[in-house]
Amino acid sequence: MSETNREVAGAGDRAGGRSSQSVLFEIYITELDRLRRIAAGMGLGAADAEDALQDVSLKALRRGPKCKSRDEAVRWLTKVTVNRCLMHHRREKRFTRSTAEIIKRRTENALEQTGTDAKAIAAEELEVVRQSLSELEDTLLTTVVLRYFVGLNSTEIGQILELSASAVRTRLREGRMILARKLTERGIEL
Amino acid sequence: MEKSCEQIEKLLVDYADGELSPSESSDVAEHLSKCEACRRTVVALQRSLDLAGIVWADGLEEIKGVGLPRTSGVSRFKWRRYAAAVAGILVVAAISIVCVTRTTPKQAEPTFAEIERQIDESGRAARLLAAAEMLADCPSAKSIVKQQYRYIAETYPRTPAAAQAKLRIR
Repeated sequence: MSETNREVAGAGDRAGGRSSQSVLFEIYITELDRLRRIAAGMGLGAADAEDALQDVSLKALRRGPKCKSRDEAVRWLTKVTVNRCLMHHRREKRFTRSTAEIIKRRTENALEQTGTDAKAIAAEELEVVRQSLSELEDTLLTTVVLRYFVGLNSTEIGQILELSASAVRTRLREGRMILARKLTERGIEL
Repeated sequence: MEKSCEQIEKLLVDYADGELSPSESSDVAEHLSKCEACRRTVVALQRSLDLAGIVWADGLEEIKGVGLPRTSGVSRFKWRRYAAAVAGILVVAAISIVCVTRTTPKQAEPTFAEIERQIDESGRAARLLAAAEMLADCPSAKSIVKQQYRYIAETYPRTPAAAQAKLRIR
């Protein structure tokens, strides 16, 4: 057991009855950035992400399981967040921010390419990918987000989604190829 | 034996992610040196991931700051429903009071906008207080809880929740 995991288990033992939920809630606070990434990756806007994460925090505080280690607690929180965000994604099937808004923000931040043609191409490509992400099947979007935006490896994703690492890789391949094909199908210059 | 485009395509994502064995990786590299279509696919794989990263990062920027414990167990929509019901009752009560006091000399009567604002503020303050009290059990959240009480007392000073928050600070 790692040092951090021993600390979590120890804190739980010391704190008695309320411990598992309280410890889980503390881990929720420290892992909030990761959970926000999941929400953003699944296309939730500010209000919906707020709702989703508040639900997760309350679930952790009220009905959170007794986790043996910090890793297990983080996995539980990630899984609950993924499921909560998926509920929203299935209903909405879209990314709230439009391409124009994304481009505008990037222009304001001076991060975008210069030149009118380059901007037009970038906007078109961005719209294709944004649309493709919205249409991507739930299971594929989840794995792609966890791998490439949250930064988990296939084994970690497998533990969260209860899949084998090879099944995760299969989903990643499928998801990535769909995104790439949509880009090439539109005849975008590469 | 040299692999076909179809066989290579199955390996391209793993190739781009650096997940192939050295021998598989060199097979793919060799194929790519001869095949423009597969090269385009590799570029598209990278480009689409870069663009997805832009979409995600933008979304993350939008939601930074969300998820901090601020509300009670009632979700936004349910809370709105309750707030609407309470507001309705209060508006009816306010109208009744206005009707009853119409005959008495006019004093500074609160406008509907003021009543609405007070209801809204009281609701917000109460939700924040409920969240803070829930957090109060967590030893590591003590400073957050104290900040929360101060925030309630300073931001919504004329609400019952602010009075409670002031008591908690003491």
